[in-house]
Amino acid sequence: MLNSYLPILMFILVGILVGVGPLLIGYLLGPHRPDDDKNAPYECGFEAFETARLKFDVRFYLVAILFIVFDLEIAFLFPWAIVLSDLGIVAFWVMAIFLGILVVGFIYEWKKGALEWE
Amino acid sequence: MGFEKFLFYVFAFITLWSSGMVVTRRNPVHAVLFLVLAFVTSAALWILLEAEFLGIVLVLVYVGAVMVLFLFVVMMLDVDMAILRANFTHYLPLGTFITVVMATEIFIVVGSENFGLVAFPAPEAVSMAVDNTRELGLSLYTIYIYPVEIASVILLVAIVAAIRLTLRQRPENKYVSPSNQVHVKRFDRVRLVKMASENSNFETPAKDTRLDDGVTK
Repeated sequence: MLNSYLPILMFILVGILVGVGPLLIGYLLGPHRPDDDKNAPYECGFEAFETARLKFDVRFYLVAILFIVFDLEIAFLFPWAIVLSDLGIVAFWVMAIFLGILVVGFIYEWKKGALEWE
Repeated sequence: MGFEKFLFYVFAFITLWSSGMVVTRRNPVHAVLFLVLAFVTSAALWILLEAEFLGIVLVLVYVGAVMVLFLFVVMMLDVDMAILRANFTHYLPLGTFITVVMATEIFIVVGSENFGLVAFPAPEAVSMAVDNTRELGLSLYTIYIYPVEIASVILLVAIVAAIRLTLRQRPENKYVSPSNQVHVKRFDRVRLVKMASENSNFETPAKDTRLDDGVTK
């Protein structure tokens, strides 16, 4: 079984090489003369107006948590899809109820306007 | 077997190193990114244990979704390092106490006499023909039907709770609903008024001929 993951390992290694290699070559071969002005943060050439540590709006959190819920739902679907042909109609209705309960939540968030960004 | 063992040590070292970086980094965003690395290498360790479904779900759910949430939470809080570090000695005794209690509890539960190959002998190797994900599905959707449905109810509670806690309508924001725009009819915007033509022999001032509220004056 593990042999089938060897291409993925190779892919990860090549990915790291392609990602890190140019940075490393640039760091080693490029000129490196930093000073205070070069290291200072800037906003499109202006002096920085305010600190970059702004508080994010809580709406991003709402979008992320709604995404997690449906992401977990997908994780339940994978083993179900594999065994559906073996278990037949019982497994079908188990998943129908599972999805039905979550559709209630989906309708709730749609009607509440949680999916609207304004 | 030798290559697998080598891979295990490589991934285990990266996991331990990145976990150490998580608790020692001062910048919380860096700590979260190291936690992502720890999760990815843990997934690789699980795949080495032939628990491929768990490994892929770890990447899918934790790296893909939960860590995004962690990053949002870190960025949502106003993390000022100077304030956080100011009371370090003040909180040190309480923090040390809690750490010692937790470490003792963990040691009692999974101490050296309760752990290891004697207490938990390695499971018998199954044949390569057994598909991990299929076995999981077979037990999940036959024996554990009720817990699966409870899991869906818990997810429903999470949806409702997140919306109740964080959704705020902003009445000050003015925006046009696309649905209303699409459903608008000609009669909502323009009113045609039928009237007899008027005598145009006398001079009409120019401003009186313009359309005002759709009505010709």
